[in-house]
Amino acid sequence: MSKKLCNPFLLAALVLASIAGHAQPKPSFRVEGEVLKPRTLTQDDLLKWKTAEVKGKDRDGKEHVFKGVRLVDVLDSAGVTLGAKLRGENLAKYVLVKAADGYEVIFSLPEIDPEFTSQTVLLAYEVDGHPLAKGEGPFRMVVPSDKKQARWIRELTTIKVVFSKD
Amino acid sequence: MMKRKRPSVGMLAIATAALTMLLSFQTPDPAPQPYILNYPAYFGGRFTIPENNPMTREGVALGRLLFYEPKLSGNNRVTCATCHQQKLAFTDGKAFSVGVDGTLTKRSSMSLTNLLWVRNLFWDGRANGLEAQAVVPLTDPHEMGQSLETSVAKLKTDASYREKFAQAFGTGDITGENLLKALAQFERTLISAGSRYDKYLRGEYQPTAQELRGIDLFMTPPSPQRSIRGANCGHCHGTPKTFIELFHNNGLDTLPKDAGRETITGQAIDRGRFRVPTLRNITLTAPYMHDGRFATLTEVLNHYNEHVQPSATLSPFIAEATNAVGGKSLMLTETEKGDLLVFLQMLTDSTFINNPDFSDPRFLRSAKP
Repeated sequence: MSKKLCNPFLLAALVLASIAGHAQPKPSFRVEGEVLKPRTLTQDDLLKWKTAEVKGKDRDGKEHVFKGVRLVDVLDSAGVTLGAKLRGENLAKYVLVKAADGYEVIFSLPEIDPEFTSQTVLLAYEVDGHPLAKGEGPFRMVVPSDKKQARWIRELTTIKVVFSKD
Repeated sequence: MMKRKRPSVGMLAIATAALTMLLSFQTPDPAPQPYILNYPAYFGGRFTIPENNPMTREGVALGRLLFYEPKLSGNNRVTCATCHQQKLAFTDGKAFSVGVDGTLTKRSSMSLTNLLWVRNLFWDGRANGLEAQAVVPLTDPHEMGQSLETSVAKLKTDASYREKFAQAFGTGDITGENLLKALAQFERTLISAGSRYDKYLRGEYQPTAQELRGIDLFMTPPSPQRSIRGANCGHCHGTPKTFIELFHNNGLDTLPKDAGRETITGQAIDRGRFRVPTLRNITLTAPYMHDGRFATLTEVLNHYNEHVQPSATLSPFIAEATNAVGGKSLMLTETEKGDLLVFLQMLTDSTFINNPDFSDPRFLRSAKP
């Protein structure tokens, strides 16, 4: 191992890789707010999870197959009140999803929780077998039962669980 | 001895009471009066006033005075109003502004209109809240060029400021923090809601046929498959506020000279993205864009219609919008552009630019050429 590390080319490559890594951090999104474990997730993190696929009609009017992870699993990994805990005051929480351009949409937790709904809200990173296009990815929400795609938020950067304080 | 002492105690009590009365006359009850914000319901209530800076009439009045105060600049000649003139909807009519050191600012002066609803200020959205915003132009060496400490020291030489800070903040101790708070309070009052478009929204004005066509085109996303024509402006400039707080690359350059929001976030996807500004009073705020490259609104419409430049971060909402099946640009007709222009003219609010509450409170100075 130490011999390998002494290889000047490998060292140079390692240094360059670390510089490149610093200059442009891997795209990620944040899960925060009323969660037990706030976290930042990259696509590498999601690739270790159970994948999910949904079919949905995009703005082009055509049906596509989106691949990613279930939004409910993302929320669950951060310790959001779902399943048996989604009752009482926890029903007054909402999920604020933000995009890189500042666009924001909200969901209620029962719209996402499989104990309430049979639809799968997907946090997608692939469409029809390809990574999401620039301006769309690397992360996008897909809500198959929404007839308008206004909540299929592109360039997703933040998922924040918030208590309604009204 | 005893007899003499008693009256002296009584005299002391009287003297104390008199002194207390005198002091109470010198410092009248300092409780400031709340400032009641007045805005139309269609602007919505999505704004936050910091808990530690509630709006008061005294705070707003002080902020207005400071907005027009040349002592806040390094050369005692520049005020906030130099680059934010009321008659131009608080812009300066220039592509870039000249700072105290004679250099030009990096970006064009923004209109100070309906900032109550803006959460991330500046073209790149770097300041969260008006208090955090105000410190930047005050202290930037290429703008007003003076530290808050120096500004505070200069204000302290004016006794009337000590009194006004006391009235606004309950303490005559002039501080940089309270200076910023007062400016923010004044800026929150700069609400423009008296245009012809507002009168239409309130049902007090019947627009002309061309104005109605303009409103419709402005707000509608085009859908050539369904034969729906639209200019798609409302995607970013929708709602009666005529802006949604978004950051978009609107296709000015393939290789932007100014990285815009990327300089704040460090993310490549933010290259060439800038905040979507309000279009309220847009006829008064030329030249347009963050670098003032367009002198007229016709040039702006031509840009969105036929000159959008492709790049990796070009907004897909601009790239995708077209009025022709398979079209590569917006493809509006000259008549439609004329209709849009007429709608943009509806957004001019003469009551806003003439509102005496927003003008220089020192009449004598404002009367000078």
